[in-house]
Amino acid sequence: MSLADIIRHAPSSETLSLWLEKVPYAAYLGIEARVEGDDILFILPPDDKLLGNPAIRAIHGGVIGAFMEQAAVFHLIARMETPVLPKIIDFSLDYLRANFARHTYARCHVTRQGRSVANVHITAWQDDEQQPTATARAHFLIDEALT
Amino acid sequence: MKRLSDQEKHRLISSLGEHIAHTHALGITVEKVEGEALTLRLPYAENLVGDPATGVLHGGVITVLLDQTLGVAALACDSLAPSIAPTLDLRIDHLRVAPPGKDILATASVYRTTRRVLFTQGIAYWDSPDNTIARATGTWLRLDEVDTTWTGNIERKEA
Repeated sequence: MSLADIIRHAPSSETLSLWLEKVPYAAYLGIEARVEGDDILFILPPDDKLLGNPAIRAIHGGVIGAFMEQAAVFHLIARMETPVLPKIIDFSLDYLRANFARHTYARCHVTRQGRSVANVHITAWQDDEQQPTATARAHFLIDEALT
Repeated sequence: MKRLSDQEKHRLISSLGEHIAHTHALGITVEKVEGEALTLRLPYAENLVGDPATGVLHGGVITVLLDQTLGVAALACDSLAPSIAPTLDLRIDHLRVAPPGKDILATASVYRTTRRVLFTQGIAYWDSPDNTIARATGTWLRLDEVDTTWTGNIERKEA
């Protein structure tokens, strides 16, 4: 089954993990997801290959960005009636605290979804959701005709 | 890294790269050092794909490459002692995607330093900068004290 086939099913924690397995880099990073009511919690378990700073054992900043981008993509797909793979237009990432070698979480909020563009806000944290380690804002092109 | 030749910088940045687990795992290497401009190369690989239908690389992989290139360009800035400073922010415009199978290059440099903040910019492309796929700007906070852990690692490894 292709990713396109799988994403036509309503997201449960099970279909979400099927989605993630079909995206090679998301699978390589080890991203997981859990449906919580109407929301999706994205999880990045610790792994030595994700580190970017050996001195303080912090996860590579780019990996945190990639995790948050992937979270936004699947958060958007989960809301679509006719799912298409959103294409990233731009990505703005604020690093607030170091992400150490433990579980990192992300949650997304669609600030605005128009006919062809979605604006998504993503928050990542480790110990306390109220103390984010990074926040990001991304625009995605979602109109099939324009891609 | 004042007074280092391009060749010396190339060697130092290459050995630094071996200590950075994720970019080392991705096979990112130093392509070129020309004064303040640093170019890194990311080899195309199947496990870095974001869209399995087309084989196009994941946008997040481009983020990793640009974060690394801008960050190391900041580290290697001539006017400063080598130090790793925390990233404040990174902004990326994704202009187009590269054809599947192509290695991605990224070139970055510091364009402004102040007492507290480093401003960097860079691009990602395939084959030549004419094929720019993404443009990035990033800011780094300068710490008061120089972090010698990294350069210490390099010296210990070479000793």
